[in-house]
Amino acid sequence: MSTALHWLALAFYLGATVVYLAFVISQRRGFFRMGRLILWIGWVLHTAAIAVAWVELGALPAASLRQSLDLFSWAIVGSALLLNLRLAIMVLGALAAPLGVVAMLAASVLPPAVQAPTPVFKSLWLTLHVATVMGAYGLLAVTCLGALLYLLLDWRIRAKKLGPLFKRLPSLSLVDALNHRALLAGFTLMTVGMITGAVYAQLVLGSYWRWDPKEVWSLITWLLYAALLHTRLVSGWRGRRGAWLAIAAFGVLLFTFIGVGLLMPGYHSFDAFTTVGGGQP
Amino acid sequence: MNLVLVGLNHRTAPVELRECLAPPEPEIPRRLQEAMRLEQVREVLMVATCNRVEVLAAGEDGDPLAEQLTRWLADGAPVRPAVLKESLYVHQGHEAVRHLFRVAASLDSLVVGEPQILGQIKEAFRTAAEAGASRSVLNRLLHKTFQVAKKVRTETRIGSAAVSVASAAVDLARKIFDDLAGRKALLIGAGEMAELAAEHLLGHGVNRVMVANRTLSRAVELSERLGGEAMGLSGVADVLAEVDIVITSTGSPEPIITRRLARAALRRRRGRPLFFIDIAVPRDVEPKVGELDGCYLYDVDDLTEVAEAGRQSRAAEARAAERIVESEVVKFMNWLAGLRAVPTISALTAKAEAIRIAELNRTLRDLGQSEGPQAQAMDRLTRSLVKKLLHDPILFIKGGERGQDHRSRRAQREQLAMVRRIFNLGQEPED
Repeated sequence: MSTALHWLALAFYLGATVVYLAFVISQRRGFFRMGRLILWIGWVLHTAAIAVAWVELGALPAASLRQSLDLFSWAIVGSALLLNLRLAIMVLGALAAPLGVVAMLAASVLPPAVQAPTPVFKSLWLTLHVATVMGAYGLLAVTCLGALLYLLLDWRIRAKKLGPLFKRLPSLSLVDALNHRALLAGFTLMTVGMITGAVYAQLVLGSYWRWDPKEVWSLITWLLYAALLHTRLVSGWRGRRGAWLAIAAFGVLLFTFIGVGLLMPGYHSFDAFTTVGGGQP
Repeated sequence: MNLVLVGLNHRTAPVELRECLAPPEPEIPRRLQEAMRLEQVREVLMVATCNRVEVLAAGEDGDPLAEQLTRWLADGAPVRPAVLKESLYVHQGHEAVRHLFRVAASLDSLVVGEPQILGQIKEAFRTAAEAGASRSVLNRLLHKTFQVAKKVRTETRIGSAAVSVASAAVDLARKIFDDLAGRKALLIGAGEMAELAAEHLLGHGVNRVMVANRTLSRAVELSERLGGEAMGLSGVADVLAEVDIVITSTGSPEPIITRRLARAALRRRRGRPLFFIDIAVPRDVEPKVGELDGCYLYDVDDLTEVAEAGRQSRAAEARAAERIVESEVVKFMNWLAGLRAVPTISALTAKAEAIRIAELNRTLRDLGQSEGPQAQAMDRLTRSLVKKLLHDPILFIKGGERGQDHRSRRAQREQLAMVRRIFNLGQEPED
């Protein structure tokens, strides 16, 4: 059931990507509305797929990299759609939809988890930890997209060549507002995610912080985003410098999310979860 | 009489070169008198705006006049002749007339249809007239020019839809700030163009416009019209932290907004962007300001890009305007050509009239009837004989004038000489 929904959602994301692409090329509002509708349907299907999987597993499906990437894709698309409700940035969907497709495709090619989740996975703290961290990842991915958009706009305005594409691009201040909100919300969720993670670690492993590679990289990521927020609020780094920093921070975030788990052994790595959990019934 | 126009505009030359050749306004009468001392120049007029420098002269021979005028224009400007040559255009005869008509009708403007240029040409004409540099030919030409510009304005919609530099600036501001509601603008310098831009901004939601000017009284006057506040130039550094859009249009030879000033303002603005529109020649904002993070700088040339779209949408109106210009050029050239034939025609008619009167009087004397119906009938007869006989030669003289470039000008001169020989009218007087 959840697999069927999963593939259906992916199909809708792909469809939305194509329609949004048509929008970017033709600049017709009709394509934008259609793309947005398809993306919304895809996201609702995706939400249903995750909900069904949750019920089937009895735990939030985030034990493997496959499931995490799937959640990541859901968070990116959801963040973009929800932020789009408040900020009329039409091209945002055109950027978020393909990113969602890539994350979801990556999830689809990975092998599914073989073992059933252990009871520790059903902890409320872990669910909170995973949900907030995933929400943060989605929002910060949108921040990165916003930063790219900001750089593009800034470059076009400075190049003083205002082509037809430029006419439909949002204004700088709107993109700035998007980055501001996404960053603020993303950073808050990330902070909550780290606290709930620490509480969960204390409950399950007996210590709040174990200097595990994932924890260290998470801390680095968190500090980077704290610096990004600080420079934005205090020193006014909203322009190109802020955008580059946002992109760099997201790069580190991606490494923390995917790279650390694959390259560095530790209890946080996706394969190790079941064994750690298994050791502590 | 021939007409030569030498100039450069926003399309042929960058703003740096235009400012090199544009003398400061009070200098223009002196420059005109200088030009009047040139051997070939009979009459001269100079239009110098932030988008163009045009020199129009009337003289005898086209080619040497064009050469002298070009040399005189470049004289003293720190520009290499080769560079200048590439940027200059030289028009003669009907092409010079057409160019002037097109410029005045705002068909050659950075933003087609913008209304300022006509006023600037009127001002240039007034300056030339006061300096004694505009006489019969240029007076007539300029009056015709104003008529053509007015005709184009009333008979086409080229001006009514005027997407001016000002509204191009508004479009850009909206790309940066999205909604202009609640934004503040600062005018530095109180030029006509700046006022227009400010009105556009106010019309799109900008809620306050401050005016800074060297002479405070002018700033106060303008700010009262715009409903803002006035200050001297020294106040600029302080308000840069508050305003979002800055329009500069001073005549200052030194930049008003330096990189250091802009950086200091940005620091106090906490990264809120600042949009500079520099419509001054020479520039008021250092180009390096545009490289700062959060600073956007557009000068007059940059606004061309934005104005491009507006130009295309009004292509049909522009074609209608071009047709008006074209027919007026023909009319004026006919007048100008007629001007050359005038001495010959009047000599011819004077000679014919003298012969008629002499012969008529002799016949009447022989008949012994200097009064009465018969005398009147003979007077009518001779009059119409002369008129009908001269009709074709005069048409021929005038018709020969239709030629417009200097080659047919030579042909025209030969025709006139021939007519003078045929009727034994003597040498053409030098004018």
